[in-house]
Amino acid sequence: MEINMKVNVLPAATYNWLKMNEGEIKEKNIVITNTKTPEIRGISDGVSLKKVSFDEVEKIMTPYFDEAKEKYQDVSKSNGDMYYKNEAQVIKTGLGIESDKMFRKLGVETQVITIEENKKIKRPLIISFEQKNKEGFATSQLIHAKANSEIIVIMEYNSEVNDEGFNAITTRVLADEGAKVTLVKVQLLGNKVIHIDDIGSYCKDKSKFKLIQMEIGAQKTWTGAYTTLLGDESIFENKVGYFQKDNQKLDMNYISDHRAKKTRADMVYRGILKDSANKVWRGTIDFHRGSSGSVGDEQEDTLILGEDIVNRTIPLILCQEEDVDGRHGASIGQLGEEELFYMQSRGISKERAEEMMIKARLDSIAREIPSKEIAGKIEGRLPLASGAQQ
Amino acid sequence: MENKNKLVEDMELSNMYDFKDEESEEHFVREKEGITEEIVRRISEEKNDPEWMRDFRLKCLEIYNKTPMPNWGPSIEGLDMDKIATYVRSKSDMKGDWKDVPKDIKNTFERLGIPQAERESLAGVGAQYDSELVYHNVKDEVAEQGVVYTDMESALKGPYADMVKEYFMKLVPPTDHKFAALHGAVWSGGSFVYVPKGVKVDIPLQSYFRLNAAGAGQFEHTLIIVDEGADLHFIEGCSAPKYNVANLHAGCVELFVKKDAKLRYSTVENWSKNMYNLNTKRAKVEENGVMEWVSGSFGSHVSYLYPMTILKGANSTMNYTGITFSGKGQNLDTGAKVIHQGPNTSSIINAKSIAKDGGIGTFRSSVTVLKNAKKAKSTVDCQSLMLDSISRSDTIPGIDVRTNDADIGHEAKIGRISDEAVFYLMSRGLSEENARATIVSGFADPVSKELPLEYAVEMNNLIKLEMDGNM
Repeated sequence: MEINMKVNVLPAATYNWLKMNEGEIKEKNIVITNTKTPEIRGISDGVSLKKVSFDEVEKIMTPYFDEAKEKYQDVSKSNGDMYYKNEAQVIKTGLGIESDKMFRKLGVETQVITIEENKKIKRPLIISFEQKNKEGFATSQLIHAKANSEIIVIMEYNSEVNDEGFNAITTRVLADEGAKVTLVKVQLLGNKVIHIDDIGSYCKDKSKFKLIQMEIGAQKTWTGAYTTLLGDESIFENKVGYFQKDNQKLDMNYISDHRAKKTRADMVYRGILKDSANKVWRGTIDFHRGSSGSVGDEQEDTLILGEDIVNRTIPLILCQEEDVDGRHGASIGQLGEEELFYMQSRGISKERAEEMMIKARLDSIAREIPSKEIAGKIEGRLPLASGAQQ
Repeated sequence: MENKNKLVEDMELSNMYDFKDEESEEHFVREKEGITEEIVRRISEEKNDPEWMRDFRLKCLEIYNKTPMPNWGPSIEGLDMDKIATYVRSKSDMKGDWKDVPKDIKNTFERLGIPQAERESLAGVGAQYDSELVYHNVKDEVAEQGVVYTDMESALKGPYADMVKEYFMKLVPPTDHKFAALHGAVWSGGSFVYVPKGVKVDIPLQSYFRLNAAGAGQFEHTLIIVDEGADLHFIEGCSAPKYNVANLHAGCVELFVKKDAKLRYSTVENWSKNMYNLNTKRAKVEENGVMEWVSGSFGSHVSYLYPMTILKGANSTMNYTGITFSGKGQNLDTGAKVIHQGPNTSSIINAKSIAKDGGIGTFRSSVTVLKNAKKAKSTVDCQSLMLDSISRSDTIPGIDVRTNDADIGHEAKIGRISDEAVFYLMSRGLSEENARATIVSGFADPVSKELPLEYAVEMNNLIKLEMDGNM
């Protein structure tokens, strides 16, 4: 199979020569061996499972889509507006409508995970993708947390370090009134795997969607999340950590779409680029008209350790509401000379100091993962990743 | 309140420039509307271009015809090139003495305060009216230092002809974008400045651009070379009366800052609100050179304006300070671009924007750090103030880093005037109106303090007027 699609579209385009307006997936000889979500572990009372077609998922999401359209009050569009490209997508995702088309074409069934009203599930649901060499996964999930329910879902993608293959996942989240959904995705795939991870969510009144992602493996990764804060006082919390080395490529697109009052977005992206790693990060906070009292904060922090790295960063704030507080910050740099000198004066080599800084950065995200076992796997992969044990 | 708002709207600052002295058509040469090879050839003949320039214009026209419109900025659908006259000039020649300038043109510039400013605080002045300069003068003591300040047409044929040929549209090639190609084809007017090695010009030079004709374009070219160790402050002012048809400004500014040299380029842009301002400005800075941009954007219907600096030499620096005020009917897309090419280069971009009455303000920037730009440092700080919920304020900053030895920071904030701050000032006896105007003036202060005094006063007056309208 061949994949040729434009994804991760920046909501408002900028200079074409920067090559940040969208990502492109052009891959040949993709073989799909599995279109079913692996068995889910840790199912508690109040959680029900159902498998449906891609079209049926869209039916479930249509009322949310209609509500989002109703709440749209903007009187002008951004210059270079590109939202129109994904306008028809019933639940907006980071990668966009082209990704939906691919999953539909592959006939991927969707695993629907429904959490009953008022059920607060403490025990995480765990979905482990244990991928063998040259296997190709394409799977879809919908997590529907009904009113005042709570759920944690951890998805891990694992394969041997030198494995190749294909791994494409689309996960959609509906957080109804007062619901809390924590979604954790830990990617430790082999260094020749092509990885696509697409996320989209709707959050109703007083609900919260917390998304934690770690991107460590794979040769090329396209990932992103689009959260529509549909209800008053809804919250999107997003923490992403990444470590990319050799000639790994990571292309990201995160959007917080504020359509209701007193919504909040707290977005943190922290990573390391080594050797010839290539990264594009797009982050957007969009305060639509009517999102009064909302706040949004996005912070990106990149440690650059490679001579031949490419780091592209574009943090957007789009705003059509007076009563909001939005901010973004980006910090891109190497290990500080003072920090390095301090460590070296205590007998720590430069390589070891770098190793410590890599771990410290990723730990600040990994500590949010509510499973010591899975968080521990990341640490197990890092010394290899940074070359200390090679 | 409604009447007051109406009154203030009528007094918008851009309207302070909205006067049209009666002009007799017989005193003007006006090229017909549109852009064709025939028109480009006629402009070239009219200007008695050297052969290379005529060929260059025609090449630019070819590029213009092949290049698509930009797909990322404000809409320019309202701009119909078939209705724009690319060349309009007075039948009077350029004068070196103010008293010789034709009366109607002189009246216009006198109302803009140009000769007065020249007497009081400038080393030289160029005044362009539509497509051609009508007055150009440089103070004797500055000329004696070897400073060349002349109109582009004279430079193209005079002793600096080779220098013009060497530098003209080398920094902004016509392939850069559609309106750079258009500029190359129909450019007219503008200034050439050369500051010799080691010469420090203590008081600024100024060019003032007035586009008085309806349905016309202004395409002036400014070329400044500040040689090694030299220092210059150049001020550019722009205005036009308001018409019901679209006008176009597609100027081009090329600045060469040599080793150890310093150039400050200040602009206060007050084009009328029927203007499409598609201007290109670029600077190349050599070793230890310093480039400073100060930019105030208040006028125009649509603006695309992002001065670019190429920090080529080691230890070269760039500092951009800008403010954009987008009001009713305006879509101002402004910012800055910087390319760090040499080692130890540093850049600071400090931008403020205010949006009100349905205006759209976009801060757009790019910071590019190339592989050899070791120890490059860059800081971008962008703050936006929203004064209502029918306006739009967007921030679109791109950063591209290709070295492991750089320190890049970016911060942006967007928000409203804090109720607490208004309450505090009201508790000290200010009316709510004055409290809000004071806060906005304070917000703009880091920019206004970088402007020459007369411009800072003008900018503060604008803010006060605009804020009165906000209540």
